Amino acid sequence: MSSSHPPSPRSTPNMTPSLALIIVGVVVMIAGGLGFTLFIPMILPPQASTQAQQVDQLFTFLLFFGGVIFILVEGVILVSVIRFRAQPGDLADGPPVSGNTTLELVWTAIPAVLVTVLAILSYTVWINTRAIPANEMSVGATAARFAWTFNYEVGQETLPTTLNFGDLKPEIQADLTDEDGVVHFNNPKLYTWVGQPVVMEMQSQDVNHAFWIPAMRVKQDVLPGRTTEIRFTPTMAGNYRIVCAELCGSGHGAMAGEVGRDGELLGAWLIVFENEEDYLANFFDPAAATVLVPPDDPALLGRQILASGAYPCATCHTLDDLGWTGNIGPNMNGIGDRAAARAQTTGDADGAAYLEHSLRHPGDYLVPGFGNLMPQFNPDPGQPNYMPQSDLDAIVAYLLTQTANPSN
Amino acid sequence: MAAVTAPTLPGVAGEEPTRLHVSDYLRWSVDHKIIGVQYMATALFFFIFGGALAMLIRWELLTPAIDLMADGQAYNSLFSIHGTVMIFLWIIPMIAGLGNYLVPLMLGAKDMAFPWLNAFAFWLIPPAGMLMILGYFVGQTEAGWTSYPPLSTLFSGDGQTLWALSLHLLGISSILGSINFIVTIRNMRPAGMGYFQMPLFVWAVLATSIIVVMATPFLAGALTLLILDRVAGTAFFNPAQGGDVLLWQNVFWFYSHPAVYIMVLPAFGVISELLAVHSRKPVFGYRAIALSSMAIALVGFTVWAHHMFTSLTPELRIPFMITSMIIAVPTGIKVFSWLGTIWGGKIHFTSAMLFALSFLSMFVIGGISGVMLGSVPWDIHVHDTYFVVSHLHFVLFGGSVLAIYGGIYHWFPKITGRMLDERLGKIHFWITYPAFFLTFFPMHLAGMLGMPRRVAQYAPEFQTLNVIISIAAFVLGISTFILLYNIVWSLYHGEKASANPWRALTLEWATSSPPPSTNFIGDPVPFPNPYGYGTEAAYNYVESQNKKYGTVNPADYLPAEKSTAVTSE
Ligand code: HEC
Ligand SMILES: [Cu+2]
Ligand SMILES: [Cu+2]
Repeated sequence: MSSSHPPSPRSTPNMTPSLALIIVGVVVMIAGGLGFTLFIPMILPPQASTQAQQVDQLFTFLLFFGGVIFILVEGVILVSVIRFRAQPGDLADGPPVSGNTTLELVWTAIPAVLVTVLAILSYTVWINTRAIPANEMSVGATAARFAWTFNYEVGQETLPTTLNFGDLKPEIQADLTDEDGVVHFNNPKLYTWVGQPVVMEMQSQDVNHAFWIPAMRVKQDVLPGRTTEIRFTPTMAGNYRIVCAELCGSGHGAMAGEVGRDGELLGAWLIVFENEEDYLANFFDPAAATVLVPPDDPALLGRQILASGAYPCATCHTLDDLGWTGNIGPNMNGIGDRAAARAQTTGDADGAAYLEHSLRHPGDYLVPGFGNLMPQFNPDPGQPNYMPQSDLDAIVAYLLTQTANPSN
Repeated sequence: MAAVTAPTLPGVAGEEPTRLHVSDYLRWSVDHKIIGVQYMATALFFFIFGGALAMLIRWELLTPAIDLMADGQAYNSLFSIHGTVMIFLWIIPMIAGLGNYLVPLMLGAKDMAFPWLNAFAFWLIPPAGMLMILGYFVGQTEAGWTSYPPLSTLFSGDGQTLWALSLHLLGISSILGSINFIVTIRNMRPAGMGYFQMPLFVWAVLATSIIVVMATPFLAGALTLLILDRVAGTAFFNPAQGGDVLLWQNVFWFYSHPAVYIMVLPAFGVISELLAVHSRKPVFGYRAIALSSMAIALVGFTVWAHHMFTSLTPELRIPFMITSMIIAVPTGIKVFSWLGTIWGGKIHFTSAMLFALSFLSMFVIGGISGVMLGSVPWDIHVHDTYFVVSHLHFVLFGGSVLAIYGGIYHWFPKITGRMLDERLGKIHFWITYPAFFLTFFPMHLAGMLGMPRRVAQYAPEFQTLNVIISIAAFVLGISTFILLYNIVWSLYHGEKASANPWRALTLEWATSSPPPSTNFIGDPVPFPNPYGYGTEAAYNYVESQNKKYGTVNPADYLPAEKSTAVTSE
């Protein structure tokens, strides 16, 4: 049977594409490449910084050239499978063409030129997005599993005039009266306004994290043992998620700004105000003001400290009173009742001692069913996860009030 | 050709194709064919295991909250083991298996250069795999396949130690296997086969083996430091005691970027074979394809830090962008050469060819997104997002796995003496191809829009995309079982395969299917050009072989034509 099929190297199908095919091909490639770029606004988050504008422009080029190559390759495959499919029963071979030096040089040169162009474009965008603008505002960021804390240092002139010096927390008063006159405090939200450049100085307390604001198109790893930086200048007012992009453990997915049941912003968010006045009017309100002006009642203070998000409890624990929904650690509803009982197991004097113990040395006693995942909150400012004794006392006082809430 | 007569080889005169029993594959053997099959069967087992984990991942991601998994840690173990298993226990051993089976045959040799070492390299894999699976059940292997410290050192449990030990064994296995390939290819080519007459698959295995031998020791080094940090109290990666977390990233990626080519160069080799044979046309630009493998192997060692564009010192990012862009050029050469190969040929839509074509059409997407990722400012936005997950699956599934599928359809007849069922093959293809695309393409969008990778919890606005992805992924998962069913069914009921069902010119087809234990009866003479299709000489060569080995009816197995041929002639 096979001998009935002659070797037919001569029955060469026409390999040279017609001029019409080439013209149609080039037109489709360019139109298609441009067509892809029309989708860009749909497939990217809001464009909310000068960096985002430049990165998106660069992406337009990348997508255009990528689209052209894509259509070229898929097009050649498509034409080939239609035009050069073997007819049923055709056991002859194709033509013995095994190369064409000119063609091979061309298709080496074109990609080489293309990637050179893209590299140069990328380089210019890189330089521009990293340029250090005048009058930038520096904010610290501390990443700890599984929350962001932003560390502010603000001069006295920035404090709202409505605040009474005498009402301020003693540390804040001390801050204000020392040489530099700068106030230090923490907040889980990052505030700025349109046109105000921000530089983040970032540190990690435990593992690697990455600071990412999709709407700003900026991302930088936050690494233990070093300080890393990132800059952006917002161009659009709004609330933007701050996301952790580097795997940091069980709560990694929770380390992003969340929207609570009632639409409130939980966890880390970037809040960009329209202008400086708006910013000044809102900056200390409501969360930060409570840090500056502490209430006298320790339980109320504790509630305010926790609600301000100054400590990363919400990602791991559930507590209805504060809208926490974490599930890495035990449910805190009714902890006031349980603490006393637990104290007997652990040998602590009372519920308050147990709670203090839980915060200062969480690894000593593990609640059954949970791993040793809770960070150790240290009394010493030099150590990671610093929690001053005054904060701790207030938090414990507040937690003890969380009784008779049997939804555990 | 006819001058070669069977009785010249004592002891194997007129030997029937060796019929092996299943138990022959469960024992220590130094026959490269048995070892090849052992590798491939083991790899397929782990493919199913890793695939099952992928299904659980996609199930969890149907909703924005954590619900299927007990907690984030359980989810993290899931994708950590999924990634490691797919890379180190599926693709790499599968390719080692194909290489083991094919390289000696393609060279007309009787075995690999070091048969005992070959067997030893394989037998490291089952214990390594067991350690890995054990690590999963011990738990807290939650640092991802890249296992960045200090999450993988100070913050993980014993599963992470088992993970590292398992990789150590797999690394040793890879190195030993590769030394064997290099020596075999260097020394055991038959008379008349210079380097530039070798099949392109052999070229690819050579380039890959060089990478493995040069890069894998770095993985071993990194793993050793990691294990010491974990169990011996050292602090190589602990900044609190003077260590450095970026040390791991640099050394790890110095291996793991080249590892991408370890997984994909052999796939390129498979594709070069398949496209030429099934479109009946010489490979277009043989030298360019062969040498670009070497260029990729070389340049591949200078690009590692493109995985660190968000952690690396900013000043160092641009040099790595430049090298990463350069490496696109040799890859582009290959793609265009393959297009040149099918253009003007006589394309036969066998299952093997369908998968080869699907590779070509999908791998290019991975290449394009790769160039995008090489651009530092764009990478900074999409680094560690689903965009990267998409990219890597287009390269490793759209690249390596689709090529492996094609290779299975192509070489199954040689290995087993039976054809895979072509109808099932086509069903497999037409389910896999769209399901693959719908699984992985939308991931680009999720990533660009703001979804990070490695999260069990995500913002609700990404749910629609994730549901689409998960449904497609389930279909993709199911489609694998069509292949497995086909393999098992065909082993017993498949149509008998002739020596050279695809009428190919490379030497593995110049012997019976399956080959006798000595591979060839007498010394095979290679056809001067392994892809010299379309010439009188090639036609006569195939004819002479058909005469020598006899053909199973019908003479040529070309299913698309078979029915017509039978009815019309
Ligand atoms: C990384 C996750 C995580 C963070 C952040 C975290 N915890 Fe925990 N927490 C846990 C885990 C896990 C346990 C249970 C294991 C243990 O007892 O240490 C726990 C246990 C506790 C307990 C004991 C509960 C009981 O039922 O006895 C208290 C009290 C507590 N945490 C309070 C806090 C407070 C207050 C914060 C914030 C300042 C906080 N945790 C932050 C994970 C976390
Ligand atoms: Cu994180
Ligand atoms: Cu890489």
